[in-house]
Amino acid sequence: MSSKFEPRIVGFLCNWCSYSGADLAGTSRVKYPPNIDIIRVMCSGRVDPQFVIKAFEKGADGVLVCGCHPGDCHYAEGNYKAGRRIPLLKKMLSQLGIEEERLRLEWVSASEGERFAAVVRDMTEQVRKLGPLNRNGGGENG
Amino acid sequence: MSQSETKVGVYVCQCGINIAATVDVEAVKDLAATLPNVAVARQYQFMCSEPGQEMIKKDIRELGINRVVVASCSPRMHEPTFQAVLKDAGLNPYFFDMANIREHCSWVSTDRAQSTEKAQRLVRGAVARVIWQEPLEAREVPVTPSALVVGGGIAGIQAALNIADAGYHVYMVERDASIGGRMAQLDKTFPTLDCSACILTPKMVLVGRHPNITLLSYSEVADVSGYVGNFKVKVKKKPRYVEKEKCTGCNECAKVCPVEVPSEFDMALSKRKAIYRPFAQAIPSAFTIDKKKSPCKITCPAHIHVQGYIALIAEGKFTESLELIKEQIPFASVCGRVCTHPCEDECKRREVDEPIAIAALKRFAADNAEDKPPAPVAITRKEKVAVIGSGPAGLTAAYDLVRMGYGVTVFEAMPMAGGMLAVGIPEYRLPKGILNKEIDNIKKLGAEIKLNSRVDDAGSLLKSGYQAVFMAVGAHKGGNIDVPGKDLKGVYDAIDFLRETNLGRRVAVGKKVAVIGGGNSAVDAARVAQREGAESVQIFYRRQRKDMPAIAIEVADAEAEGIKLNFLTTPTKISGKQGKVTELECIHMELKELDRSGRGTPYPVKGSEFTTEIDTVIFAVGQNPDLSLISGAKGYTVTRQGTVAVDQMTLETGAKGIFAGGDMIGSAGTVIEAIAAGKRAAVSIDRFLQGHDLKEGREEETLKASDIKVTIPEGTEKRPRMGMPELAVEERRSNFREVALGFTREMAIAEAKRCLNCAVCSECRLCETVCLPKCINHNMKEEVLELDIGAILLATGHDFFHAPALPQYNYGRFPNIIESMEFERLCSASGPTGGKVTMVDGRVPESVAIIHCVGSRDSHANSYCSRVCCMHAMKQAHLVKEKTGAQVYELYIDIRASGKGYEEFYERVQREGVLFIRGRGAEVVLQGNQLVVKAEETGLGRPITLPVDMVILSTGMIARKDSATVANVFHITRDQHGFFMESHPKLRPFHSNTDGIFLGGTCQAPRDIPDTVAHASAAAAEVLSLLARGKVTIEPLTAQINPDRCSACRVCISLCPYQAISLDGKDEKKVAEVNEVLCKGCGVCVAACPAGAITTKHFTDQQILAQIEGVLAR
Repeated sequence: MSSKFEPRIVGFLCNWCSYSGADLAGTSRVKYPPNIDIIRVMCSGRVDPQFVIKAFEKGADGVLVCGCHPGDCHYAEGNYKAGRRIPLLKKMLSQLGIEEERLRLEWVSASEGERFAAVVRDMTEQVRKLGPLNRNGGGENG
Repeated sequence: MSQSETKVGVYVCQCGINIAATVDVEAVKDLAATLPNVAVARQYQFMCSEPGQEMIKKDIRELGINRVVVASCSPRMHEPTFQAVLKDAGLNPYFFDMANIREHCSWVSTDRAQSTEKAQRLVRGAVARVIWQEPLEAREVPVTPSALVVGGGIAGIQAALNIADAGYHVYMVERDASIGGRMAQLDKTFPTLDCSACILTPKMVLVGRHPNITLLSYSEVADVSGYVGNFKVKVKKKPRYVEKEKCTGCNECAKVCPVEVPSEFDMALSKRKAIYRPFAQAIPSAFTIDKKKSPCKITCPAHIHVQGYIALIAEGKFTESLELIKEQIPFASVCGRVCTHPCEDECKRREVDEPIAIAALKRFAADNAEDKPPAPVAITRKEKVAVIGSGPAGLTAAYDLVRMGYGVTVFEAMPMAGGMLAVGIPEYRLPKGILNKEIDNIKKLGAEIKLNSRVDDAGSLLKSGYQAVFMAVGAHKGGNIDVPGKDLKGVYDAIDFLRETNLGRRVAVGKKVAVIGGGNSAVDAARVAQREGAESVQIFYRRQRKDMPAIAIEVADAEAEGIKLNFLTTPTKISGKQGKVTELECIHMELKELDRSGRGTPYPVKGSEFTTEIDTVIFAVGQNPDLSLISGAKGYTVTRQGTVAVDQMTLETGAKGIFAGGDMIGSAGTVIEAIAAGKRAAVSIDRFLQGHDLKEGREEETLKASDIKVTIPEGTEKRPRMGMPELAVEERRSNFREVALGFTREMAIAEAKRCLNCAVCSECRLCETVCLPKCINHNMKEEVLELDIGAILLATGHDFFHAPALPQYNYGRFPNIIESMEFERLCSASGPTGGKVTMVDGRVPESVAIIHCVGSRDSHANSYCSRVCCMHAMKQAHLVKEKTGAQVYELYIDIRASGKGYEEFYERVQREGVLFIRGRGAEVVLQGNQLVVKAEETGLGRPITLPVDMVILSTGMIARKDSATVANVFHITRDQHGFFMESHPKLRPFHSNTDGIFLGGTCQAPRDIPDTVAHASAAAAEVLSLLARGKVTIEPLTAQINPDRCSACRVCISLCPYQAISLDGKDEKKVAEVNEVLCKGCGVCVAACPAGAITTKHFTDQQILAQIEGVLAR
């Protein structure tokens, strides 16, 4: 392992807007750090809190959830469900000693390749500053 | 299949150098070979090629591979390709997963080592996932053989004709009154200069006549559900108020319509009527009434057609105006004088200057219309109705019921008909002659009024020949007075005082009169006392001036007549000598917390008592119904407020056949509310007598005036409200002559013309009078159609950038600066100038500048190129030259003339002498009377100024203002500029992201007419291919519930956006069940199920968790 800390980020992207947005970043050859591994889900509302927890448990330093912009959801309102779930989950994570900033929910449309890249860049830097997630210590119960 | 038998094949694609340049494909393959269950790992140049596909098939057949992972591009690109490979080789296509190592990996990074690691992680994730994947069967469903085309512009027309000609049924939904869209507005089309209307209208006619096209104009799509091949579409058909089939398009209605609004078709350069046809060649050719709601009408308790009678006055049609009022109410003269006109409080003209003098105009119509006594109405119904009380409520009910053909008898206890109108309102406000004339008209229609006929038992009337009774006895009893000394001689109640004076009986009024209260009765009593000879009259009111319920103008008139107002005071004691009033003691009040009416609650200020020398005290502190009048009736209940309890919608009392309304049910006590109650009662009684349901289909106005948004037309000048001429104070204060004199003809017409026509159609009904085929129906209702549709084609078009957003061009500020679409209308032979290109003053311009890229290629507006404007601007330059010979300058950034014949046209206009200046027009200013365009001539590298007569701003195309709403209805996505998003920019440019919904024309991106037609036809071909296939495969990615784990908590039911989950009660244990047809597989329910009982096929928890572990494994 190199001396420089390279964050591991798992991204859950909805099939309709954000996954296409990430595809567009690729077709447009927009560059962003290779730290994110993208997992496709049909809707951001499908992102079960256990997916996020599993990712942190298995070594992720950050988790990014992306869905359609409010009002644009392919399934009418799945993104609103994510919009309610993720903030709750953040609160829970902070009680487990995981900084809230390690979990992020962003709206990325199919035409926002540039925006997706910018989000990944920003998040990678943010998680890099936070450092590796210490899964064996820290936190109020650690 | 157990995991031990699982054999995964991994195929890593080089994609030429697309992947191989950044990812070490060999290393990825090597890693894959070491992963559990992987039987074979290979890499190849192009996995999607024939040899690549064969490689997979061969391994499946020969090595017994039963799971496949391809690491290549996005699954959105080639997932179907490889799934077909599996299927061909006899393997279930859902035993497949793809690692996206191109779009998500090789293309977004330059670091080879890191990208290779990332590709390895993605492959690990896919291999971990594919092991858990299950065989699924795609469903095949039939396709409904019909298409929906949304939008009737050239794109929609082209597509609809293509589909219809192929033999499929097309529903075309167009929001406007006619199809034709933007192309119908253009004069000529580039580069051939053929007339736009000439080439478009024959196609419009074809659409209108095509046996396979159902044209739903003036309609909008409200809701879309279902899925590809099987959509359910709800279409809202707005009421046209004209029966389309009967209308001959003769235009007689528009000739008489008094309401003019800016014409949308002519870009507001001309006016159209409220009943209109957007343009002569419209399809359908029927007229349409543009009818919205006006604040005045919805605020009026009786919902009178206020805007209608005002529009008729503005036209000088006073008799028609009065007839319109009388169609709804019998008391035009009365209301014109004494109505509290809540309508005026909500009048939108207030936002410009002051509200319209609505009541005064009504009075004008009543006073100045031709005097036509009504002809008696024949009694056509056998049932008879009794009305108790001849006030405004009772007489209005009688008026309506007589006109329905019922025999009506009105019983009045007093010797005079009119109720409070006769005995509560003084002569100087409402002359008896005026009132009696309107009452006489009701009698002439056929109502019988029995005076001095007190009815003690409403129920008894039902036994003596009447089948229904309307009780409207008013509130003729004064409020309770609780002041020591109230029994002294010289203390009156205002209701009694006004009644006695109105009945012509003298009441002893002293020299010094005090009136207690702040309502209309208080002001009336004070002014009557003065006219009866009092020397000084004072009003004592416990709140402030702004809280007075009395009409403001009446208060002002009273003050002008010398009546003194004392605010924040209330009486505490009346003192007297020899039983007669001599002194009134009052106390000052202060206002504290707001009460329910929004006014401060008054509290006495301790020790602030003061006395005034007074000999007469009149209390005007409320009025109550005297229910002893009907004490014999049974079955109705009395509220705590001492009023009769009724159903507010039907005015039914508890007693069958007995209805009650007006002041006796405790309404706000205004004349117009009593009239409204009378109308309501008449409808209920008619329904009751005909045995119909009293409530069914009765619509209550739920909209509030404040909900109505009215755009005040640009350039509306301030013109203050016309003041009411009055008798001079000296001429009126000691007699009962009418104070308000009414408007003159000129005043009335000028005042009526101030109306902003909020509802557009004023409902004056003049159109009905001239329509020979009788096709106008003002009561038409909105309809909702439900259509079964196989494929949807959106062709909703575009809007134009509007120049005021860029203030440097001073559009709208200086004259003769116009937008390109306005120029089209100026140029058009059917336009506002008949095709003459003229300036505002009518002169022909000698020099014209055309500024390109207004709102396009501009970081302050839209970054994109609008594509059509260069050619459009050149065409307009040609037309200016041809029509005026003016010098034309084109200020451009770059010329984009890439189309068949376009470059040639560019050369042609240059040869014609149009001067091209390379440089964006920076600013348009006015120097003296001269328009000056400032720009940079980039060729010379210096700024230039061009004095010109006219400036045309070539405004770009933008997405429709409501494209977000439309995208929502159809569940499709939009790009960053608001245009509808295509599924793939190159290969699927007319597919939306939703299967079965296609895009045609400028709703997807700006394009010119030839490209729009091509795009629309291509989309039509996609529609046809779907319809002709007749069946469609639906991915089986639905949710599934494990009944053993479901605890029936219903969380999923409330979350599902498609109502696809229900509780199934077949078994003993009730569990949730998914309707696979409705489920779209979003998985929202899966993530929320607390019991973990739900899963989505192909996206199970297990599969996703395995993928997470896979990508994170070290």
